[in-house]
Amino acid sequence: MGQTSNHATGGSQDVCVEFSNVDKWFGTVQVLHDINLTVGKGQKVVVCGPSGSGKSTMIRCINHLEKHQKGRIVVNGIELTESKRSIERVRQDIGMVFQSFNLYPHLTVLENCTLAPRWVKGVPRKDADALALRYLERVRIPDKANFYPSQLSGGQQQRAAIARSLCMNPKIMLFDEPTSALDPELVREVLDTMAQLASDGMTMVCVTHEMGFARQVADRVIFMDAGRVVETAPPDEFFRNPRERRTRAFLSQILH
Amino acid sequence: MDFNYILDALPDLMRGLKVTLTVSGLAILLSCIVGAVGAALRTSGFKPAEYLVTGYVEFIRGTPYLVQIFFIFYGLPSLGLRLSVFWSGVAALTLWASAFQIENFRGGLAAVSHGVRDASASLGLKRWHHALLVVFPLAARAALPSSMNTIVATVKNSAYLQAIGLVELTFVAVDRIAYDFRAIEMFFSICVIYLLCVFALSGLGHALEHRLNRPFAGR
Repeated sequence: MGQTSNHATGGSQDVCVEFSNVDKWFGTVQVLHDINLTVGKGQKVVVCGPSGSGKSTMIRCINHLEKHQKGRIVVNGIELTESKRSIERVRQDIGMVFQSFNLYPHLTVLENCTLAPRWVKGVPRKDADALALRYLERVRIPDKANFYPSQLSGGQQQRAAIARSLCMNPKIMLFDEPTSALDPELVREVLDTMAQLASDGMTMVCVTHEMGFARQVADRVIFMDAGRVVETAPPDEFFRNPRERRTRAFLSQILH
Repeated sequence: MDFNYILDALPDLMRGLKVTLTVSGLAILLSCIVGAVGAALRTSGFKPAEYLVTGYVEFIRGTPYLVQIFFIFYGLPSLGLRLSVFWSGVAALTLWASAFQIENFRGGLAAVSHGVRDASASLGLKRWHHALLVVFPLAARAALPSSMNTIVATVKNSAYLQAIGLVELTFVAVDRIAYDFRAIEMFFSICVIYLLCVFALSGLGHALEHRLNRPFAGR
């Protein structure tokens, strides 16, 4: 079993996310085993693995949508504990995009984007609208601002969800299978948006099976299985020369 | 049927209708508030509150409405709580309607997807902001059809309050029949009046439903 090494990237200020020996249980079932992970500022990490391997649970621990039972998780120098304050502060720095978009169905795209800036940060409506439009332009759907989510295609909805996250000006973006619910021809537009975000220097952790995206964007690919990190490697090495048998079996399944 | 008699009785009936609408209106308003709060408590995960609300709903649903009215009007004074006929009526009707509105709103809450909870949490929205700005409008939309049912039933069930001497629409009709024996005229009249009220309410409900469904029209 390949132990993951801590890829420390210089001083601790440059470390955005750090997992040390993290365990998590759902009831009596242990779903994360001794996870160690370091994501440096500006790094792009792609997490892959079979269904049920704990990759979604792992990424959801980063902003405390799931709580871990053992080990330490430190985000931008703040350790995640049960204290509300630590959770709030950590979430301020993290945006998240979900497989099922999770847009607010009763609000327009613009209102989806302005809700959190207005109510969490107290940004005046006009400024929040301007901010939202800027990000909607960046994800190339400014013309959909006044549409409801149900009137958009899946790809447009996901890009709206990305814009909504960016409106809170996060330092880290988490993507939990952002293209898995999309029709094949809509995957590209979302991946392009993510790649653009990556090239702007955003720190990103992406759970995805889009191996082309991993090759193009990732600094590191992490392979998980049965709640453990099995292998961590730069994408070139990961795809060309996987060390672990389990990784090779997985890759042969998804790469045709 | 003597329509002149009906015209003659109309001012009396209108005074009764005013009381019917006042009592029903108050009960509808209060029961919607109690319903929303009760449903929130019932799904709060705080066990004592959940048992309390469940017990209340089961009690109201499991006992005759007329008995509840008598309990409040004749029973409570011996416990030291004496309410006027009007407020006894409002209390009885509100308590009855609230039990059903709690169930309606509970259904509405269950229809709100867990995904929006994750979204709000990841955006750093406070719980009560999320409850007020996201869950409430979504739950209200889902609960509206069954809620309208209860609202209509609330108006009709105000008629029971004639049993404790509240001078509402049905009381006026029955009272006049006792003097003039014009049963068919009076019952026909109040049926039409109740129907008109219910139609107006249903129309309002449909308009509201249409408005709340607008974001979902494309689906």
